[in-house]
Amino acid sequence: MAPPNPPLVPRRDEVIRRHRSSGGRLAAVLPIHYSRAVFRAHRMLPVEVWGPPGIDTSPGDAHLQSYTCGIVRSSLAFVLSGGLDVADIIVVPHGCDSLQGLGSVLLDFAKPRQPVATLYVPRGPRSASVVFLAEELRALSRRLSEISGIEPTLDELRQAIAREESADRALADLLDARPHLPFADADFYRVARAREYLPAEDFEPLARAMLAERVAAKRPGIPVVLSGLVPEPMNFLGAVADAGGVIVGDDLACLGRRRYAPGRSDDPWKHLAESLLDAPPDSTRGSSTADRLAWIEKLATDSGAKAVVFYLVKFCEPELFYLPQLRQGLEERGLKSVVIETDIAESLSHQAVTRLEALLESVS
Amino acid sequence: MSDAASIRALGIDAGSTTMKMVGVDAEGALVWHALEEMDPRIEAQAERLLDVVRADGCPDSLPLIATGYGRRLITRADRKVTEITCHARGVHRELGHGGTLIDIGGQDSKVIVVSEEGKVVNFSMNDKCAAGTGRFLEVVSGRLRMPMDAFADTALAADGEVGISSTCTVFAESEMISLLAHGAPVERIVRGLHRSLVQRVSALARGAGLRPPVMLSGGVARSRAIRTLLAETLRQEIVLPRHPQLMGAYGAALLALGA
Repeated sequence: MAPPNPPLVPRRDEVIRRHRSSGGRLAAVLPIHYSRAVFRAHRMLPVEVWGPPGIDTSPGDAHLQSYTCGIVRSSLAFVLSGGLDVADIIVVPHGCDSLQGLGSVLLDFAKPRQPVATLYVPRGPRSASVVFLAEELRALSRRLSEISGIEPTLDELRQAIAREESADRALADLLDARPHLPFADADFYRVARAREYLPAEDFEPLARAMLAERVAAKRPGIPVVLSGLVPEPMNFLGAVADAGGVIVGDDLACLGRRRYAPGRSDDPWKHLAESLLDAPPDSTRGSSTADRLAWIEKLATDSGAKAVVFYLVKFCEPELFYLPQLRQGLEERGLKSVVIETDIAESLSHQAVTRLEALLESVS
Repeated sequence: MSDAASIRALGIDAGSTTMKMVGVDAEGALVWHALEEMDPRIEAQAERLLDVVRADGCPDSLPLIATGYGRRLITRADRKVTEITCHARGVHRELGHGGTLIDIGGQDSKVIVVSEEGKVVNFSMNDKCAAGTGRFLEVVSGRLRMPMDAFADTALAADGEVGISSTCTVFAESEMISLLAHGAPVERIVRGLHRSLVQRVSALARGAGLRPPVMLSGGVARSRAIRTLLAETLRQEIVLPRHPQLMGAYGAALLALGA
């Protein structure tokens, strides 16, 4: 039986144009962790910038050293070439040293036409982390007020949080149901990653429409967990399918590591901070190797995966630091893995496909 | 009956510098092979080799598996399998044991940890630059106008070596020219160049989790200097199959046979 058609996902530029034409404001947000509800409480749509892939990075290269990752390199080039002119503010969360450096370049040197704000997400579990991050989110909100002219009440913030949490639940359900959703990986990721730019109320129906197609049988193919930052270039997903693989578990920073569960506190700022800090283990939040290993193993066990593909953006230090111990730990647990490094500005190499195929051959 | 008449399965390894075809008999023994410099028209070259083996008496319509970087272009193949799986299968069958297989090819180098059953346990590849590949030796030996055999002999005959610090083939070539200009003895430079390649491959091997014995395949395995320096650096005896360059195609043929 032919797989069902995936829900039609509005294009990013259409969403931006529609939002703009209705008088809405726009925030360009770089990876990885931030609270969408804070922006929405200001009637501002956060649209994420993961590069974008496949653009000429030369406009920003002079600001950066050679071994800077493609996400930062492309983002800076995109800003400098006017790609983010549509945004009212650029927000750079502190995901890693390179992103922090990008924040500095934008604030102190490149100076785009719109204001730039940073967000410091604490690394590692510390008792003060929730209080610190809650204050960071408050500070961000104050900055957004300068642009939006809105000072959201706590009730308005709570309503925004409720909408986002509902969409987050839909995303988590999608990820959990992945082995039983009869869609090609490229279609699945197109829908799931629409969370990066769609308003929560538009994303949730898409996710639920996909979930409605859930079937009892698992998708045929060699099941793997995908780990890393972002599935770019996206034709990698086609390469997985061509090699007989199916992605059944997701540990990507852009997706699976942002399964945000609701916070615990009544105070909405602490509630948001808890939600971000309690997300699945992530290299950019300084999670321990043991926690990351346990999480990836759980993803594999729950989904029946036979192997793990670490699909990395070249020069991504936070990801690379963990790899030897993660791979050894997975091997000790009977899970094979492979590392595939790519540059989001380049096409998928033959060698990358060979690595993937060799892994799948070794577990089939 | 010619050897080709006993062929029951074929394997083609469309590598970066050479194309190899191997035929195996019903027991999986390597009974026929051909090896040619790589032609840019990969599919036409594969067809030509198939014509050659048929002309030798090989039966028609035998199972065929293609491997190597050009495998996708061989439309006649029943299946395409990576060179990693094929090299592991070929060397395991040939040598009868597992271990760590180092395959230094023209375009990349691979370290494949092979189980006692001949399965790939782990692998690691250097596919990002020419350093650590056969291309590195080609470039530097060409610059010194030395044939590959003489290049290896020169390295082994040296009474010392000069360290090559560049990690890039192009820069290593520049460094070599600079060393020559400063009067460094050619023999010591040549040994240093070999050492440079061996160190890169050894690092790859250690990263993959070296499991003795160390086995070597690929075109560069023919270099006595590489074998000697690799054994010295890894402190392991290097085990060599009879036809190191054919192990990918042999493994492909064995897989085609279902052996």
